[in-house]
Amino acid sequence: MVDSSLLSLAAADGSTALYGLDELLAVAGERLGEEITPRTVRLYATEGLIDRPGKVGRRAVYGQRHLLQLLLIRSLARRGLSLTAIAPLATCSDGVLLAQLRQLEEPSAHQASLEPMEASSAQQQEALAYLQSLQSERSPSLLPLLGSPLSSSSASPSPRRSLSSRSAGRSSAASRRWHRFSLAPGMELHLSETASIPPAGTRREAWLQRLLERLREQLDSES
Amino acid sequence: MTPSLHFRPLRPAVAADGATTLDLMITVRSPEPPAASTKQRPGLNLALVIDRSGSMAGSKLSHARKAARFLAGELTERDRLAIVTFDEDVNVLVPSQPVRDPLLFISAINTIDAGGCTALFDGWLAGATQVANQVDPQGLNRVLLLSDGQANEGLTDADAIAAKVEGLTQRGISTSGFGLGSGFDEDLMGAVAAAGDGTLAQIESPKQLADLYASELQGLASTVGRKVSLGIRAKHGAELVDVLNDLPQTTAGNLQLLNLRYGQELGVGVRLQLPAWAPNQEIASVRLAWDAPDAEGRQELIEQLTLPVKPQAELDGLEADPAVAEQLALLQANRERRLAIEELDRGDLHAALASLAAIDKRLAALPQTEGVQRERRLLTEKQALMQQDRNLSRKRLRNESLRSSLNVWEGDDDNG
Repeated sequence: MVDSSLLSLAAADGSTALYGLDELLAVAGERLGEEITPRTVRLYATEGLIDRPGKVGRRAVYGQRHLLQLLLIRSLARRGLSLTAIAPLATCSDGVLLAQLRQLEEPSAHQASLEPMEASSAQQQEALAYLQSLQSERSPSLLPLLGSPLSSSSASPSPRRSLSSRSAGRSSAASRRWHRFSLAPGMELHLSETASIPPAGTRREAWLQRLLERLREQLDSES
Repeated sequence: MTPSLHFRPLRPAVAADGATTLDLMITVRSPEPPAASTKQRPGLNLALVIDRSGSMAGSKLSHARKAARFLAGELTERDRLAIVTFDEDVNVLVPSQPVRDPLLFISAINTIDAGGCTALFDGWLAGATQVANQVDPQGLNRVLLLSDGQANEGLTDADAIAAKVEGLTQRGISTSGFGLGSGFDEDLMGAVAAAGDGTLAQIESPKQLADLYASELQGLASTVGRKVSLGIRAKHGAELVDVLNDLPQTTAGNLQLLNLRYGQELGVGVRLQLPAWAPNQEIASVRLAWDAPDAEGRQELIEQLTLPVKPQAELDGLEADPAVAEQLALLQANRERRLAIEELDRGDLHAALASLAAIDKRLAALPQTEGVQRERRLLTEKQALMQQDRNLSRKRLRNESLRSSLNVWEGDDDNG
């Protein structure tokens, strides 16, 4: 969580604070309550979500704006937004970034009534079970062929109908559910159910090609 | 604060000494809205499902984005919104979440661009799942499906899709169907909106989308009854022989009515056939049942229909009620549009034109009230349009024919 002291600090002090990568990760990680890896930051920089770091000698340095960008991106991503959707927001002016963050972090007066309904809501289970039965009627989708879902979130217990891998489709929107499949010994790919996989053919090939390039970039930047 | 049922017969009595054909309007009157500010509208749980197939490219999609941004801006943090797009793939652009910050939705909406085919059913399914994940039994849960095309990927059969949509309606989530432009399947959209207990809209210009969303939000906010059904049980040898509205039947054999909204009236035209009738004998029992947004369980209201009984000779001298005659004629005009559509589909333009002319002739015999004049104007337009643009006239006729059976958005004025 971002606390207001950070926000006021950031507001008062535009650019003087400079961090090395490790410091940036530590500060952001603490504020967000999650560990952030150097790889994540590099990915965001490659994607243009975070400004390129400055240089002091041969050392990359990050300022307050980088921190704000990182906090906003992570906060939005945790709400389920895709990076494409986040990109236009992350490049806004510092003032807008700050306003965004404040809005995201301010506890809402009505929040209590908005949080997911009681998990045991009979109607919810019935509607979800019904939609899952519609999914399973359809031709087998890709994800179930690739692997079985990881655990579902505890906040949404499985409806009575068994959530077998067959009933999960690629267009199912249960964003909390992930599929994993093993690519090679010691290597797994985790895929959110909301991720869409292009149909077999040229589109799929292009998609795989893009993934490959992304992976190559990542490996290159590691070495 | 509950709806009421009213009976108004075309003729004020039935015969004691012979058979009677009884034409009757049954009116469901929703309560007036509560005084402003006394009550907050219930929270909305919506999924906006947007067709981004290739045919949406250009100004249609840019208007769809604009209207979606408008929708996000109108919602508050008490509401939830999910945004789903589909072409041959389905993409959950923003998973269901409270609209604390419209900007977050808007930036996602801005990324929508045009793709390939139209997997309409899959798109609906993904949007429905977003709503179902967060379903609020006390609130209003709805999928808004916007498409400009024919479903051509995945499940495409209109009846099959409608059956699945109806299954979800039974489980508390409704669906509205919005058709855009001249290429969408009006029969499919009509079937989806009817099965979905939602709104049907046919928008010829994407510029109307924002108005439509505004009206949809207002309609949702003023909904006092959902899953509304009307059961008419004729008694003592009377028989229900016709219902003029084209209303879907519920599994229990009742008529499924559109949602009840504050201050709104809905008229159902029926014909009953009666044998010689005894005084004070009940003709029918009519039961209205609905789900209220802020109450548990099924609400219901039952009214008995009885009418004065007179000798046949005296009946013949009684005047028909002109207001009822007009309402029945307008319902009849909706029904006969369906006949004209069938004739168009057979390629028989002459028969279709003749059907419209026949409706107009009957309307011409009535007192020319504002309602009758408007109806005649619509018919004249359709007759002219049929010869210039058969597709567009069919779409408009379909839209008008459904006015008495589901919520049809009519835009500013006569299809703009």
